[in-house]
Amino acid sequence: MAATTKTTGIGAALRRKEDLRLITGRGEFTDDFREAGQLYIYFLRSPHAHARIIKIDATEALALPGVKSVLTGKELLADGIKPLPHHVWALHPADIAMPNVDGSETFMAPHHAIAVDKARHVGEIVAMVVATSVALAKDAAELIHVEYDILPSVTNTWDTVKQDAAVVWDENGSNVCGDVETGSREDTNAAFAKAAHVARIETWVQRVTGVPMEPRAALAVFDEGTGRVTLTAGSGGSVRLKYDLAHMLGMKSEDVRIIMKDVGGNFGTRGMIYAEFCLVGWAARRLKTPVKWTAERSESFQSDYQARDLAVTAELALDKDGKFLAMRGSNIGNAGAHTSNFSPLQKGVEIMTSIYNIPTACFRARPVVSNTLPTRPYRSAGRPEVMFVMERLIDIAAREFGFDRVELRRKNLLHKEDLPFKNPFGMIYDNGDYHAVMEQVLELGDWTGFEARRAEAKARGKLRGIGVANYVDTATGVPRERAEITVRPDGQVDVIIGTISQGQGHETSFAQLATEFLHVPEDKVNIITGDTDVVKVGGGTHSGRGMRLASIVIWKASNEIIAKGKRIAALMAKADPAQVTFEKGHFHAAGQSLSLFDVARAASERNDLPDDLRAPLYAMSDETVNEAAFPYGAHVCEVEIDPALGTVEIARYSTVDDVGRAVNPMIIHGQTHGGIAQGVGQALMEEIVYDRQSGQLMTGSFMDYTMPRADNFPFFDAGFAEIPCTTHPLGIRPAGEGGTTPALGVTMNAVVDALRDFGVTHMDMPATPEKVWRAIHRKA
Amino acid sequence: MYDFSYHRPTSLQDAVSLLAKQPDAKPMSGGMSLLPSMKLRLSKWTDVVDLAAIPDLSGIREEAGHIIIGARTRHVEVATSALLHAKLPALAELAEGIGDPLVRNRGTIGGSIANADPAADYPSSVVALDATIITTRREIAADAFFTGLFETALAHDELITAVRYKIPKRAAYMKFRHPASRYAIVGAFVAQMEGAVRVAITGAGPHVFRIAAYEDALTKTFSSAALDGVTPKLPSLNTDLHASADYRAHAVVEMVRRAVKAAAARKSI
Ligand SMILES: Cc1cc2nc3c(=O)[nH]c(=O)nc-3n(C[C@H](O)[C@H](O)[C@H](O)COP(=O)(O)OP(=O)(O)OC[C@H]3O[C@@H](n4cnc5c(N)ncnc54)[C@H](O)[C@@H]3O)c2cc1C
Repeated sequence: MAATTKTTGIGAALRRKEDLRLITGRGEFTDDFREAGQLYIYFLRSPHAHARIIKIDATEALALPGVKSVLTGKELLADGIKPLPHHVWALHPADIAMPNVDGSETFMAPHHAIAVDKARHVGEIVAMVVATSVALAKDAAELIHVEYDILPSVTNTWDTVKQDAAVVWDENGSNVCGDVETGSREDTNAAFAKAAHVARIETWVQRVTGVPMEPRAALAVFDEGTGRVTLTAGSGGSVRLKYDLAHMLGMKSEDVRIIMKDVGGNFGTRGMIYAEFCLVGWAARRLKTPVKWTAERSESFQSDYQARDLAVTAELALDKDGKFLAMRGSNIGNAGAHTSNFSPLQKGVEIMTSIYNIPTACFRARPVVSNTLPTRPYRSAGRPEVMFVMERLIDIAAREFGFDRVELRRKNLLHKEDLPFKNPFGMIYDNGDYHAVMEQVLELGDWTGFEARRAEAKARGKLRGIGVANYVDTATGVPRERAEITVRPDGQVDVIIGTISQGQGHETSFAQLATEFLHVPEDKVNIITGDTDVVKVGGGTHSGRGMRLASIVIWKASNEIIAKGKRIAALMAKADPAQVTFEKGHFHAAGQSLSLFDVARAASERNDLPDDLRAPLYAMSDETVNEAAFPYGAHVCEVEIDPALGTVEIARYSTVDDVGRAVNPMIIHGQTHGGIAQGVGQALMEEIVYDRQSGQLMTGSFMDYTMPRADNFPFFDAGFAEIPCTTHPLGIRPAGEGGTTPALGVTMNAVVDALRDFGVTHMDMPATPEKVWRAIHRKA
Repeated sequence: MYDFSYHRPTSLQDAVSLLAKQPDAKPMSGGMSLLPSMKLRLSKWTDVVDLAAIPDLSGIREEAGHIIIGARTRHVEVATSALLHAKLPALAELAEGIGDPLVRNRGTIGGSIANADPAADYPSSVVALDATIITTRREIAADAFFTGLFETALAHDELITAVRYKIPKRAAYMKFRHPASRYAIVGAFVAQMEGAVRVAITGAGPHVFRIAAYEDALTKTFSSAALDGVTPKLPSLNTDLHASADYRAHAVVEMVRRAVKAAAARKSI
């Protein structure tokens, strides 16, 4: 941890204000809300991976007393409910464009909230039952007779592009939705032709699921008088959900209200509107009764968006001294059954070369569909996958061609003088000191002392391995954010902000910003989010944009508050506004000292103020930030393997992430710890498995899907660097994803290093005990 | 959950007659296995007979050189029993390794044994310690109790009231946890009894089983070296996403080895 002694404002390691409320059961999650007379929804989901829906007969179900309605794709279309409004590519100006090589459009198909013609994955909704209790709705669902024509399915990513693969969308004729080439093929091939060495990898970054602690839920109320629909639900942000829900329901956006109080985890997979949210709203409007739906955990496994799932072949060309010359390859991103989101593919392929000085590169990128749950960006979308590829390639090259792993990185890592640097795909990295950060983490992880630890472990019969990985992360996301600040005469400051916390600690860290700029204690700052009747503009929490953008708008709004305050103070003290200063929460004017709240009170009590200074003392900042940020860092991981059973233990884990400026070091460490757990979880444990023949989901509960737990980890040695970001007015870099981005690669580098004496050069994730045991015992 | 009638009898007799009356009635002890399967609609019972109000079904005592544990004794009580820590620490350690604190605070030994989950921990102790299952009708020897996957020798209206364990000279339980569920991929219970060693394996097969070749070798010499060169004859083993049959077979050997080492390191009683 960087040494900081601040106890307030930016840099203070404050305990989170919200935690006492959350850990004592006083959070207000969606399921905590209820309405008198609410009905309950249960979704009948497809048991098949791919099946034509021939007929749905709900007669028996509707005959059960208490069953109010059974709705299917037929009613959905009849009522004009629109498909989910997916934007498949990230449209941020800093992200690269993804045009098809042949000039055709990216294939996109309508994603209806209820399957209308075919069910395309296990768990896809085929009917919605509304009844007076959940149990009754489930009973009714069992009485719905659905006639299916079961079709061949495809789930495995490599299989999707094969000639004889089952086709998910007949309209497209194949599963390939786009075929994009990035970088320069000519230059790259020329560089490869001259290369002394070429390192190769073929790997599949397996599919995982987000597993937020709070399963999704929704409660909708329709007000007949006003014609408004109010939806209480947790998502990545409330404002976007309002527009998306209004769009799907064919309503004006002002007729939709979203309420979102506490949200138990997002990680991106919860980032946008879900079919269920729209259906709950539709049912409330249609039946003119409040309706409620709460997912059970097993339902989450077959209805939450899933993530990762990238198949990669890649090559790295080196000269005889180990200088990287070029990189090329092909990425296939499995979007699942619907053309919902291809941005992880895009956000990965645009930084394949990471922060190494690689003059030229060329990659093919293909988004594909399959009979699996749709995928979405998940913590650091697309980057952990490609950082894994890059860092594995370096270790493969080092081993195969006899270079030292660290020296190879030192030789090729961009120097601070090289920055800003345009990578071969066109991304412009801002600033930083990549070498310094890597050296810092090597020191923290005691890289040089490792061989002694390896020997000591060996004496105990254990295989110890170490790995290092660098990373860069492109933070873009929705560019617009707004903050509204009101200084209340009663001594409180209200900050309305368009970005809601799903556990990131905004109530504390955003308050610290207001404290820094306005000099009022954190406990007097109220962060107000999560009701679209109050919050009009905001982009939500994703792509490292929460603090990055909130800090800008809170800062600018605070500056405006101070500017207004100076003018009021000048009037109060009969002083020249240009002479008024603001220090330690007080305006100093003509010998008088007036607090921020004195000024706010004057604004509400005096009748001699110009219109723009009348109460309340309020300011708004609404900004569109078109610059990307490039947080980066390096991790070192040390593992110990029990060769008898193949179990992998994380023995040591060190991180240095450049956060530019740490607003709350304790919260940053918390983000890093959670991020590491998610990354190591993917490297060693987590995997969504579909049966390759039937397309059945095999990991439908915690009995089979391995979640990382606290006892899987040691205490982390988390440090950070604070090299101010040159593209952010306050120097802040995102800090929420860095724990995850390099974790896949660094963990697998350590595992492969531990297994070096067994001829192991690569292993696909997750490195489960059986897989490791097979590698040691050379069993297929 | 499907609709069912809930009963809370206050005597074993009433409980048994409730069960006898209804073919789809089910006893409930801690509910830690029964309730999840009902909630997931994987099982459907017309009547649930809760055993919680029946007196004298729980407790751990020593009697005539045996340890007797009431059917409703919770895992936490076994894990923390001073008597067991003195006389049969392997059993206390086994209980400590079941699930999480919430499960240990409700789940019971009788429920676990009656459930006969192939990956449950307790069945290995019952077989390795040559225990006797005491029921409302009879006494059943451990070797005759577990008959198949989730199947036991119990009749529909027969309730376990207690388990009577022999006290071994030395014993140990070693569990190789399933990474996701944390049940046993392989659990090996090794007990050096008066006159013979017994080795029982849970998690690996359709139900708990013994390994005769290991028992013979260990009866001769109680040390892990005695296992060298002995090829155990194993039944057909389970395969799932996390462990194939051949990996399990290897883990059986390894876990027995570890259990023998742990037991051999103990003071003989
Ligand atoms: C999250 C979780 C983790 C777990 N992890 C483990 C683990 O690591 N290892 C492990 O071994 N177990 C594990 N379990 C199972 C747990 O130990 C259960 O408590 C146990 O299997 C059943 O005990 P119970 O008292 O809860 O029985 P119940 O659930 O009430 O009953 C189970 C079955 O036994 C029958 N039954 C109950 N009592 C009697 C009786 N006296 N006579 C006849 N039949 C009876 C019931 O009818 C039912 O069929 C876990 C459970 C959960 C929920």
